[in-house]
Amino acid sequence: MKIVQTRRTSQIFFFTLFVWFCIVSTVGEKFWQIRGWPINWFLQLDPLVAIGTILTTKTLYRALLWALVTVCLTIILGRFFCSWVCPFGSLHHFVGYLGSREKTTAQKIQLNKYRKAQCIKYIILVFFLAMAAFPSIAVTLQTGLLDPIPLITRSFNLVLLPIVDRTVNVASAMGRFYERAWLILAIFFTAVFLNLLIPRFYCRFICPLGALFGILGRFAIWRIGKNKSECINCKLCEKYCEGGCEPSGNIRISECVLCFNCRDDCKDEIISYQTQISSPGEITDPDISRRAFVLSLASGILAVPAVRLGNKLGANWYHKAIRPPGALAEEEFLSRCLKCGQCMRVCPTNVIQPGGIDGGLENLWTPVLNNRIGSSGCQLNCTACGQVCPTSAIRPITLSEKLGTGEFAEVGPIRLGTAFVDRNRCLPWAMDKPCIVCQENCPLSPKAIYTEEIFNTVREGTLTVKKATEKKIETVEETLVLGRFSTGDYYCTSEGGEGLKIAANTKNLIELTPDKKNGKIPAEGSIIEVKVRLQRPLIDIEKCIGCGVCEHECPVSGKKAIRVSAEGETRNADSRLLLKS
Amino acid sequence: MASAGRRAKVLESAISICLLALLFVTGVGIFIKQYNSDMSRFGIGTVTTVQPLQELQVISEEKPDLSSFVPAEFESLSETEVYQPVTLYEKINGKAPLYIEAGFEELSTKRFVDKNDESLWMELFVYDMGNVRNAFSVYSIQRRADADILSLFHTSFGYRTSNALYFVHSNYYVELVGSSESDELFKALIEVAQKIRSDLPVDDKTRIAELGFFPTENLVLESIKLYLANAFGFEGLTDTFTAKYNIEGETVTAFLSKRSEPKDAKMVVENYYNFLIDNGGVVKQAVNKVFEGKVMDFYGTTEIVFAVGQFVAGVHEAENQQAAEKAADILTNKLNNVMSNE
Amino acid sequence: MSEDNEKKLDRRKFIARAGKAAISLAAAGTVAYLVYDSKGPGPSTGVEEIVTLPDFTVSPQAGQTISIVKGPDRVKTVDKAIGLLGGIERFVKPGETVAIKPNVAFASPPMLGATANPELVAEVVRLCYSRGGAKKVYVTDNPINDPASCFRLSGIGKAASEANAEVVMPKDNLFKHTTLSGGRLIKDWPIFYEPFKNIDKLIGIAPVKDHHRSGASMSMKNWYGLLGGRRNIFHQDINTIIAELAMMVRPTLVILDGTTVMMTNGPTGGSASDLKRANTLIASCDMVAADSYGCSLLGLAVADLPYLAKAEKAGAGTTNYETLKPKFATVS
Repeated sequence: MKIVQTRRTSQIFFFTLFVWFCIVSTVGEKFWQIRGWPINWFLQLDPLVAIGTILTTKTLYRALLWALVTVCLTIILGRFFCSWVCPFGSLHHFVGYLGSREKTTAQKIQLNKYRKAQCIKYIILVFFLAMAAFPSIAVTLQTGLLDPIPLITRSFNLVLLPIVDRTVNVASAMGRFYERAWLILAIFFTAVFLNLLIPRFYCRFICPLGALFGILGRFAIWRIGKNKSECINCKLCEKYCEGGCEPSGNIRISECVLCFNCRDDCKDEIISYQTQISSPGEITDPDISRRAFVLSLASGILAVPAVRLGNKLGANWYHKAIRPPGALAEEEFLSRCLKCGQCMRVCPTNVIQPGGIDGGLENLWTPVLNNRIGSSGCQLNCTACGQVCPTSAIRPITLSEKLGTGEFAEVGPIRLGTAFVDRNRCLPWAMDKPCIVCQENCPLSPKAIYTEEIFNTVREGTLTVKKATEKKIETVEETLVLGRFSTGDYYCTSEGGEGLKIAANTKNLIELTPDKKNGKIPAEGSIIEVKVRLQRPLIDIEKCIGCGVCEHECPVSGKKAIRVSAEGETRNADSRLLLKS
Repeated sequence: MASAGRRAKVLESAISICLLALLFVTGVGIFIKQYNSDMSRFGIGTVTTVQPLQELQVISEEKPDLSSFVPAEFESLSETEVYQPVTLYEKINGKAPLYIEAGFEELSTKRFVDKNDESLWMELFVYDMGNVRNAFSVYSIQRRADADILSLFHTSFGYRTSNALYFVHSNYYVELVGSSESDELFKALIEVAQKIRSDLPVDDKTRIAELGFFPTENLVLESIKLYLANAFGFEGLTDTFTAKYNIEGETVTAFLSKRSEPKDAKMVVENYYNFLIDNGGVVKQAVNKVFEGKVMDFYGTTEIVFAVGQFVAGVHEAENQQAAEKAADILTNKLNNVMSNE
Repeated sequence: MSEDNEKKLDRRKFIARAGKAAISLAAAGTVAYLVYDSKGPGPSTGVEEIVTLPDFTVSPQAGQTISIVKGPDRVKTVDKAIGLLGGIERFVKPGETVAIKPNVAFASPPMLGATANPELVAEVVRLCYSRGGAKKVYVTDNPINDPASCFRLSGIGKAASEANAEVVMPKDNLFKHTTLSGGRLIKDWPIFYEPFKNIDKLIGIAPVKDHHRSGASMSMKNWYGLLGGRRNIFHQDINTIIAELAMMVRPTLVILDGTTVMMTNGPTGGSASDLKRANTLIASCDMVAADSYGCSLLGLAVADLPYLAKAEKAGAGTTNYETLKPKFATVS
């Protein structure tokens, strides 16, 4: 049994497993739903996630300890992850293979030669780690932008799966929507199609995780190399070389991804995986100059204050970045969030969305609630997002912590923000049209939305009586719209009399409801007014938790007339609206 | 050399097999892991994607267990829900103020379904109104006009419609609503009612004295209502009972309300009289009267108000003045009797 | 080189590499062990170092706690007032460093009385240097308007510099989070801390002003300037925050300037017609007593300012200043 065949099996296994984890990330108990599937396993195995969060938080969160396994195996074996486990790597491998199938052997050898530009990935790695490493300046975790595991997780869960699932509806009953998915899609397909140019383009030139493995694997006990110096220099070993690591000459250990193709292709069996170094010699260190290293380190350090010039962590904080329940205070949140999209994937209501750059560059693809998308704001009894967050940027809270019950009664509920009524858009406030949808839908108990009752005379509602009985009033005007006042919200008042509810109307006849008759019958020729009973919504900001159900339900469907804004969120003391008493 | 090559191949195969075994073990491990799930972590149990909003209910344990009232062939269809005054509108929405103004304390409600026929289900509403007067008030005000009186109770505080039972039991106002008009289901409702009446503890002060102060002659059965406040839109009329009388083919509404002192009663009469006059009432000459009080025309109906000892009494919105005065006379006589007996 | 030697060299290289690999493994394991966090972050982690302000009070001397001096000339009245309490020598010892916290809240000219009087500030600085023998005097505040403009336009910046004091403007890194023990509002809140960290004595200088929200702004309200962050949230409970400030800050001495009093439109004023001459200056070791007397200049009683009672209850001083036997004097 050939080792390359085993490698392919391993790649297929892990890729399938990865896709399976994407599919099962739906809250539910069926075997194809979340259950106990370790959907974060790939993210946990990813040492860039672990090292990034160790740098920013000085802690290694729970299951991220899995990364230690990867790190140790890499130290001993070399960059095995790239060619054996990484689902993104396998995808590149496959597409690169398809792309170069038609090419001649010479062209293939040419394609897979080593290129100086392969050092770019080290520059990227140093840049991102520098952003995470200097707390005296400010730290931010941005590795997730290019780290292949968060990248493919995000791309599959937020782009590919919703597109495919639209036809089968396995992962969700309704279509899933993600804002700014186009950008994720564009980056994903660019990375994939670059393989047609050069196989494993992403792995060789960009992948910061690959760079990290390259550094970790420099003392590897076993490494690919020539076991004797007699070599006819046919270069066939480079025909399918995945890493572009020059096994024909002085092999570059940091670039070798252990695909074993060279060993397989060497007719003379000169290449083996061995403990001694390659007989012509090898290059262990990444091909990165001191100057490039210092430059990327310095620009990484300075990039953090640079991206924060917008003062989005200070007075100019972004009130539309409503974070999921359990999210840490913004600065700590940004030092943990990978932008992997697991919370957005699992959210049963689809309200968690990848953020844009309006809230600063760091906000890109971080979870933000958009109450206009999805089935109903943040569901009161759900804590799924924190349960799947691999780095605890969103803490795994319990329901009682979320709702402020039981032992959390004193602390109170977790507030995501506060709903504000836009009185210029709200139907009862701005247009005198009855509507209490937001109040009715407020899931809290007691409700955070209450109403103030007011009776307003409707436009052209001042009428002259032609004839009146106890139950019916005929008007001189014949301008009423048939049935308009029959909804139960309209009342008729005569001079000095009490308002009587209107049951029905024609163009010149108003019929009153029979249940009450202590008003007096208006005299002929007297003036009556048709009034509408309005219940105008008001927010009790001490109760509102910012779940966004009201905003979701508001019938003013464009720019909603009631909108949640992050003021009052519990995670940031600075955005609170009220003193706690 | 050849043997070395063969050895290498064997080694390669062995390593491959080991690695494949490792993959297999990984797969098995993950498969086992997925059984180890605690869905409560997600806070939504078995719920999948779309789910109606769950209302927040406090399940209280010391409350009467509604299941114990239900016949054996019925099983729970929903959890017991308990509502307090602040949350009551979540269950009954706009009707909540009616209860809350009448002293509502707590509602326990639960649905049960027939094990053999799932179209047959019932919902129990047990409103704890604090005391029997409050319970009677919400019961009487809501009483359906076309109701059949429930003869199975000794008190008259119960009636049925085609699919439901409504009754007062001590401080509880109980509604038993069936899903259909089936006789079988109705029998079960009756059973529940009897069980509630025998099992739910009774408050001692279940008697409402005023009910006995209305003369029974010509009284329309089951027409007595209790308005705890704001009767006829007048704030001063609290704790007011009304009853319908059938006099000379006319339906007349008589009312009475007991005060602690005769002078209080007089004052209420005076205030109510002024209230009516202010709102457009016109004093009328009595035709033929025994009672000592005021007669008014109020937009074509007759209003009578008078005091008998501690009682404020009168007739409300009578179409016919003679019938109204007759009713007032009968009520005066009865109240005088009551006074002399006390 | 013989094949044997080559093999030996290879072997040595391999051992060296294996050693490094082993060290790497050990290092990775150790780091993972050290930083491993099984619990994850709590609801609010990352709280900055919490600090408390030192206590700057001097030991009390009966009958020398509060002095009230009448007169139109602040330089003379402040000299007298401090003199009556035992002189600046009682408060500032040779070689000590002193911070003076005048009210520099607004970028408004001295004549409007919205800020501490620059001559008064300069005189106190001079006293600290000349008679107290202070090594260094700092003048600092965290104003509401732009700090540089406030110090410039109020005249305090110039007056203080000319008297050789160092003006310390607020900067981000001078703030630290603090929590007042027993406090309800000052919890993990940024305060202007660094300038007060290493000094020996603290003197507050505040004018008597009408204050729209709290009734009156005097020596206790002056410490509002130490609060950082979005401090206007505390206006929701102004009386409690003033009382908590009085608990948090324990100054050596406060000087309450009622030479001209802003009677209306406080705390910003804006017109000379808002001012009234009261020709009174108070020096006190007890802020509550100073403010309790000071409010009479605004025509207010102690009961009109709930924060006085609150501060008294919290042990910050007494509203019954008579019991302290204030020393009265008049200088013309």
